[in-house]
Amino acid sequence: MESRKRTAPTTLSVMTEQSFTPPLTGEEMMAANPYRPWSARITSITPLTEKETLFEMRIIDDRVREAFHHHPGQFVCVSIFGVGEVPISISSSPSKSGFIEICVRRAGEVTTALHNMQCGDIVGLRGPYGTPFPFEEMKGHDVLLVAGGLGIAPLRSLINNIHDQRSEFEKVTIVYGAKTPGEIMFRQQFEQWSHRPDFDFYLTIDKPHPDWTGHVGMVTEAFKTLEVDADNTYGAICGPPVMYRFVVEEMAKKGISYDRIFMSFERHMKCGMGRCGHCQIGHQYVCLDGPVFNYWEAKNIQGSM
Amino acid sequence: MLYRVIDTDELSSLIRGFMDDYEFIAPVKADRGYVFEVVDDPSKVELDYVTTITSPKKYFLPSEEVLMRYSAEENEITDYSVDIKPRVIFGVHPCDINALNRLDLVYKDAPYPDPYYIKRRENTLIIGMSCMPGPNCFCNLFGTDEARMGADMFMQKIGDKYIISLSSVEASSTLERYCNPQRATDEDRKEFRRATREREAAFNKDIPHVQEIAMMMDVFHRDEFWTELGNRCQSCSACASVCPTCFCFDIFDRLDPDGKNGSRIRSWDACTSPEFALVAGGHNFRGDNRRRVRHRFYHKLNGFTGSHDYQLCVGCGRCVTACKANINPIEVLKFFDRKGAEQDGE
Repeated sequence: MESRKRTAPTTLSVMTEQSFTPPLTGEEMMAANPYRPWSARITSITPLTEKETLFEMRIIDDRVREAFHHHPGQFVCVSIFGVGEVPISISSSPSKSGFIEICVRRAGEVTTALHNMQCGDIVGLRGPYGTPFPFEEMKGHDVLLVAGGLGIAPLRSLINNIHDQRSEFEKVTIVYGAKTPGEIMFRQQFEQWSHRPDFDFYLTIDKPHPDWTGHVGMVTEAFKTLEVDADNTYGAICGPPVMYRFVVEEMAKKGISYDRIFMSFERHMKCGMGRCGHCQIGHQYVCLDGPVFNYWEAKNIQGSM
Repeated sequence: MLYRVIDTDELSSLIRGFMDDYEFIAPVKADRGYVFEVVDDPSKVELDYVTTITSPKKYFLPSEEVLMRYSAEENEITDYSVDIKPRVIFGVHPCDINALNRLDLVYKDAPYPDPYYIKRRENTLIIGMSCMPGPNCFCNLFGTDEARMGADMFMQKIGDKYIISLSSVEASSTLERYCNPQRATDEDRKEFRRATREREAAFNKDIPHVQEIAMMMDVFHRDEFWTELGNRCQSCSACASVCPTCFCFDIFDRLDPDGKNGSRIRSWDACTSPEFALVAGGHNFRGDNRRRVRHRFYHKLNGFTGSHDYQLCVGCGRCVTACKANINPIEVLKFFDRKGAEQDGE
């Protein structure tokens, strides 16, 4: 038998757009190399607080943009080449198609570099990743949403999505706590909404402040007056790690079933695909199995709470 | 599966055949032990080894690799491709083949298949080789002492012959081209059984089998034992470097000296390194050695079972040699063996 020389290398291309005929669909392009960020243009920059800014972005490639569908609670990995990549939750509702909004806190190198960018600049985006809030399952029920600090960023995607399909939901209550009045994000939106009869708002700050006439105290204070129809309510919590235990306890006390209390965990997701290990808690990957877990799942993860 | 038999003196012809056709990787003798390396001289191949210092994992997940190239000025990816050579890895032991099968679950049969890993896996033939256990081997406890899948060819030595199980046509045709494979006789099958039993009997009996290890990891999550191990750990991550199933990685950017272009790089990382679970803002979710060491063993012996129904330790014993603080799965198994006995009131 003739010997076949097999020493010629095969080539794996990370460029997915030119390499195939007929052309790939957007879904296929993204799946061909899931590590490949797609160029997106910054279309709007809105400062929210001293440290947080809202960026609106639009993926440039038509096929990829049209294939990009996210759900509330999911995140993207944002690249600035030469600096690095960071995971950031999506703040906009899926109903705002063609664009995504991300709320970014200036915390590290990449987020600082992002804060120095201007409208029209290009960043890299890949995603969306993660298990979202069960939006469809929540329909037809009361929804109780609790956010603390930057936790409002992922929760806003859910809030705005509910807003856009408001008639599908029963009573909607939003509890949002910030440290100071200056750190309240999307304040304008929430202040406009506070007069609406179809959203119950409870906005609170941690400590008394001269510029503040509203509620003062932790978000758990709100539960003293909240009336909850336990059998018909879904809860969603998003905030700093210390908040979860206390808010979950309040929701459980009101009688909401463990598998209807949802929370979004924050860890350092690097790959977003359940592989690199950085976001792992117990046996779960926050990037893949989460970031949204229900309380029953969270209780079963070693080291989660 | 197809079984064929060749004489041991046909081995060099088989090795030479593979060498002619592929980039050939096999264990060779190095200063302090054995290592997998590219070999071009058949006489350098050392098949009589217990274990190599590191596993063939490095040929599928290099310790550092460029995922893509980019222009930092335009903030866009520039064309870049990875050349992957057709390879043969020869003389791989069952623990390492099973380790690759575990990696397949994470990199291939996963929600986001990894193109770099898959291309390398598809272009690599794995030729397995039977072995006899050393004092640190405990693959028998995790059912990884046999490679029923994951190798293109597996060679079990029986006396002065090899009985070979064939899983791929590519390996099979090389065997036919360079050797004179025969059908296995009843005598060969008996010899096979004898060789298997002999291996089974040779394992170190001081390493306890703890059937309920996964559950024990949950129940004794807060035990002082982890503090003790944590106090000893030096965070050197040697355990993860030599482990054939440790697959965690870091992704980072490295600019070229001109600052205009750069590479996005993936490199090995380990959950035992202090900054592994650090998030932006400074909070570290596993901020001490106790938590980190415990997490590593938890993932190996319980966590991976929860998500993939296999234990992630294959009992190769490499970390037993690599860890200078004597933190290893054997110590963990012995601890839980003692704990289990206490619970029984013994």
